[in-house]
Amino acid sequence: MSLAPLPTGSTAAGRRRLRGTLLVLPALVPALFVVGGGIGAAVLQSLGLMPLVGEARLSLDAYTAQSSSLPTATAVSLGIATASTLIAGSVGLAAALVIVSGRWGGRLVAALGAATVTVPHLVGAAAIGLLLADSGLLPRLLGIPADAWPRLVGGPWWAAVIAEYAWKESAFVALVVAGTLATRVASYDETAALLGAGRLKRLRFVMIPLSLPALVVASTIAFVYTLGSYEVAWLLGRSYPEPLPVMALRLFDSISLTSRPEAAAVAVVTTAISLVAVGLAFLALRRTALWR
Amino acid sequence: MSAGDMSAGEMSAVEVGAGEMSAVEVGAVGVGAGAMSDASARDPGLGAAGGAGHASDAPDSRRTGRLRLPGDRGGRLTDSRGAGRVGRVLSAALLAAWFLLPLVPLLLWAFADRWSFPAVLPTEWGTDGLESALAQGAVPAFGRSLVLGLVVAAIATPIGAMAARALTLGTARWPRAIGLLLLAPIALPPFAAVMGLNVVLLRAYIPPLIGLVLVLVVVALPYTTFAMRVAYAAHDIRFEEEARTLGASPFTVLWLVHVPLVAPALARAAFLAFLVGWSDYIVTVIVGGGAAVTLPLVIASAAAGIGNDAAVAILSLTAVLPPLALLVLVGLAGRRASPSRPVRTDVDARSARSRMHDRGASE
Repeated sequence: MSLAPLPTGSTAAGRRRLRGTLLVLPALVPALFVVGGGIGAAVLQSLGLMPLVGEARLSLDAYTAQSSSLPTATAVSLGIATASTLIAGSVGLAAALVIVSGRWGGRLVAALGAATVTVPHLVGAAAIGLLLADSGLLPRLLGIPADAWPRLVGGPWWAAVIAEYAWKESAFVALVVAGTLATRVASYDETAALLGAGRLKRLRFVMIPLSLPALVVASTIAFVYTLGSYEVAWLLGRSYPEPLPVMALRLFDSISLTSRPEAAAVAVVTTAISLVAVGLAFLALRRTALWR
Repeated sequence: MSAGDMSAGEMSAVEVGAGEMSAVEVGAVGVGAGAMSDASARDPGLGAAGGAGHASDAPDSRRTGRLRLPGDRGGRLTDSRGAGRVGRVLSAALLAAWFLLPLVPLLLWAFADRWSFPAVLPTEWGTDGLESALAQGAVPAFGRSLVLGLVVAAIATPIGAMAARALTLGTARWPRAIGLLLLAPIALPPFAAVMGLNVVLLRAYIPPLIGLVLVLVVVALPYTTFAMRVAYAAHDIRFEEEARTLGASPFTVLWLVHVPLVAPALARAAFLAFLVGWSDYIVTVIVGGGAAVTLPLVIASAAAGIGNDAAVAILSLTAVLPPLALLVLVGLAGRRASPSRPVRTDVDARSARSRMHDRGASE
């Protein structure tokens, strides 16, 4: 943009525009560099156009090289993300409804939820490990011997991984949904109650429709985060089959020359799935009556 | 729940009641009186926690001896009674347990020297975990994490606030595209961008620490930008224009009018950005390349090993406490700004009122 007046506006409007652009740039330039540069470089590397050594050559080798384990990893990642998002969404919605009810119970749940959001995922993973492992607190509390306890940590069903994400993300969903509900729910809820709507009817026709857009947004963020998060699955999961981020980082750290493009290919696949998930969520949001 | 929301809710209830006079109104008064007796029977301590407005106003109406009407402050029509109340207390207790349970083993393990299997409580208490954690470099790692979080917050908060202001006040070009781009990091797997970027950073000879801060700032931008967009949507720019008209310099307006008005939101945005830097693991591993051994890296290496559960618990608690302390601080700061609702300040009410006179000035 130049200092010269815009053809349609006055000099003042042009200066306003310039100021607006200048205010945006310090955030825009790093974001463009990291998002555009990072994803762009990952795509180029996965296509063999940005090799560490040797000459650039367009090929899909990186995608086909892992053709046996890539679908498995995708399925594992999608399964973990779907299961934990479903639990987080339902628990989060319940917690949000308790929070907006506004009594001491709501305040307690809100405070604990806010505290849970601040816990780093890695710490959450360590804590869930100490809780659910066969020598953890839960089998001790329930009095179940270690060999009778199911293998939740590192076991076949990724139970500890799903539990960690469900725990952390339910707090996130609860705070987001409660935040949007709190601003407008009181009037609708009271009106419905005055008109004779009972508890279940208010839940079905007032609370859930009002919280649906925020629930969809928060659940999508939780889903995408779970899909792209490394440390929890690495710490609490099993070594094979592995979810996409764990596979990508294993390839990234491996010493063979072909593995870097393969790691980039896994990264590109994960990004593509995330974008599809976000796109589907947007479509779902446009169908809800209360969006915009 | 703010007083403003309450009165709006009750006002609409009154309007509906007036429209459908007889039966509805009588029924509502009956229910209202029921809620009232329920409220007065309640333990006063719980009432105060339930909502400052209700607890302080309920005795007033009792003192005047007036019939309670649905528009009055007091127990709400939507308050649960009987079995519903039991259900709500139960669900609140269950949810509290859900959020608290994973943190219990951390607290127990932190000071357990020995905890043989079937025992529910540690069999030998002590400080072995603490000593082991210190030996693994907990203190310098804590310092590095603190600095990283503060640096990310110090950069991401002001640039996010500036972008949010330009986007909200409509002075930026292509606001939709820019808004989407600034939100994009939340929708993309960080490891993917970082793997690609690693080569770019190496080729551009950008030092690992600079690259680390750069990436984490971008990861924090969605949070700071969003928090500040919410704040600026409720911000009345005419306070600043008024000050300018009265002769204040742009700098004075910034420090004495603009920043104080958005200060609670700035604190929230900075807190979220701090969390990004404080709790990051994967970006620090890939981009940092060992240059920054932060607390999450120490926790990861301790947790991946076997037999040092006490040290893991101590390290984990060390990582949990600073954000919790900040959360309490931010909450207290917000509470001071507005007694009933910590998140939004009284600026909301003012700008909402002024927007009724002049729509669109601050949108």
